[in-house]
Amino acid sequence: MAILSINNLSKNYKTIRALDNVSFAVPPKTVFGILGPNGSGKTTLLGIIMDVIKATGGTYEWTGERLPAHDVRKKIGTLLETPNFYHYLSGEKNLKIAARIKRRGEADIEKVLKTVNLYERRTSKFSTYSLGMKQRLAIASALLGDPEILVFDEPTNGLDPAGIAEIRELIKELNRNGKTIIMASHILDEVEKVCTHVAIIQKGVLKTVGSVNELMNTAASNNNTSFLIEISAADNRELKNILMQINGVVSVTEGENELQIICTENITGEYINRYCFEKGMVLNKLNVKQKSLETRFLEITGKQSDK
Amino acid sequence: MIDLLKIEWLKIKSYTGFILLASFFALGVVASNLIVFVFKREVIDKVKGSQLLFSGSPFDFDMVWKTVSYYSSFFLMLPALLLVILMSNEFTFKTHRQNVIDGWSRFEFLKVKIGMALVFALGSTIVVILTALVFGATSGSSFSVSGIENIGYFFLKAITYNMVAILISLLTKRSGVAIAVFFIYTIFENGISLLLFFLAIKLKKDSQLDFGNLGNYLPMNASDGLLTSPFEQFSGITKSFLPSDFNWIVLAFALVYLILFYVWSKRKMLTSDL
Repeated sequence: MAILSINNLSKNYKTIRALDNVSFAVPPKTVFGILGPNGSGKTTLLGIIMDVIKATGGTYEWTGERLPAHDVRKKIGTLLETPNFYHYLSGEKNLKIAARIKRRGEADIEKVLKTVNLYERRTSKFSTYSLGMKQRLAIASALLGDPEILVFDEPTNGLDPAGIAEIRELIKELNRNGKTIIMASHILDEVEKVCTHVAIIQKGVLKTVGSVNELMNTAASNNNTSFLIEISAADNRELKNILMQINGVVSVTEGENELQIICTENITGEYINRYCFEKGMVLNKLNVKQKSLETRFLEITGKQSDK
Repeated sequence: MIDLLKIEWLKIKSYTGFILLASFFALGVVASNLIVFVFKREVIDKVKGSQLLFSGSPFDFDMVWKTVSYYSSFFLMLPALLLVILMSNEFTFKTHRQNVIDGWSRFEFLKVKIGMALVFALGSTIVVILTALVFGATSGSSFSVSGIENIGYFFLKAITYNMVAILISLLTKRSGVAIAVFFIYTIFENGISLLLFFLAIKLKKDSQLDFGNLGNYLPMNASDGLLTSPFEQFSGITKSFLPSDFNWIVLAFALVYLILFYVWSKRKMLTSDL
């Protein structure tokens, strides 16, 4: 049973159709990415399910919860768009307010501040925080009360590379502990690295939805040329001749110091390695690259931003 | 509601604007009454024949309730201004969204703001009651609750101002704009109220039609009109030209306006995007 079911959600801003009959379901214990270019309607969608934006049409349901919508929200950790806190209060006092609203008690505050490395600055005013620290505080706030469901809108916004890696690891860790995470992002690499499932939205229209693996496999079956392999040996010219004999290798292109071969999905790196070795060719490089989500995303959405 | 108010207290207790405006209000109430008190004793009472116009002090019981309520009511702009700032801050920093995301219903957010409006009105009224008791005691007259309805009128005016502050903040959502609209509307309504007052005098004089002071039927002036100056007896000579005081009608208008402010605020809060 899905954690969240979205049925034909639509939202108009005057003449602009920000969301157009979007429907999907979020399976439990997944990291569900909502991926789309800037302005595609990701934040609008999350805003609707958090009741800060009113839908023009359609419904959503947090399945399995028989509580009023606002009481369901108390059990969800959410970071929506930008960190929203009282600028004249310290990080710690801001978390106290959030904890009281969530009726979670204040016992967690120290733990979540430590999780996001903000404990040392807990008494500083929010207005003195850097963008990255504000983002960390928002993530800390979402973690209050150890919620089973987390909703993150662009969670790595404003973080430095180390911070980005930490937060991605944190999301994966939360998922390993059985949490469901719904995450909007325009960063393909992030979705590819973190998410198990993805919904791709463009100009308010749901383009595709499914598990990341399914999406990749769809790409494979559509094109039948899903793998790119970078390969080299001492004699690349001879290597090319050998590779051309393999059934399933579609093309071999000579690069500067390597060959790039595109092959059908039934070919594996191990097979190529063994084949070459049996032909007396020892490889010094073999890099199997899966068709990336980026390629798939661009196939689906085109190459232009929605802004 | 108490739980919600406790959370609200966490938000404002260390906010400088709150501490400043609350202090200014208390100071303003005491200072303005003190000025009138001293002025009456040191200036008016020393003018020959003034005793004929003023028998006793406006700070004697029973008059003290009316006097202190009237002069203190000029400072009700301050708690209303504070509410405008607090509400607008929520919108500017989008903390209203965060409160809802964290688990308040939209109505709970509005409910606690109305709760704050009531608490501020109650706090202001307590300051006024204490001030009246101190001035009353200093005047040497014996304690009386006669005229204490003026404290009720003060409370009503405080609530009205605070509810207008909430409504304007909800409609404008920006601190600067909300403050400007609040002041401009107050000045505008007072101007219209004065014109309606003259119209009421004219109607009474020319057509013998007495609808009361029409200016007092406007949203903010309805609660304002119930509080009158303790020195009104000066105008005793010209009173026959003035429209009558239909206090019950003005009170009814004030209450109806309060309900309208509430309904409008609720509709705005529950149906619009935050």
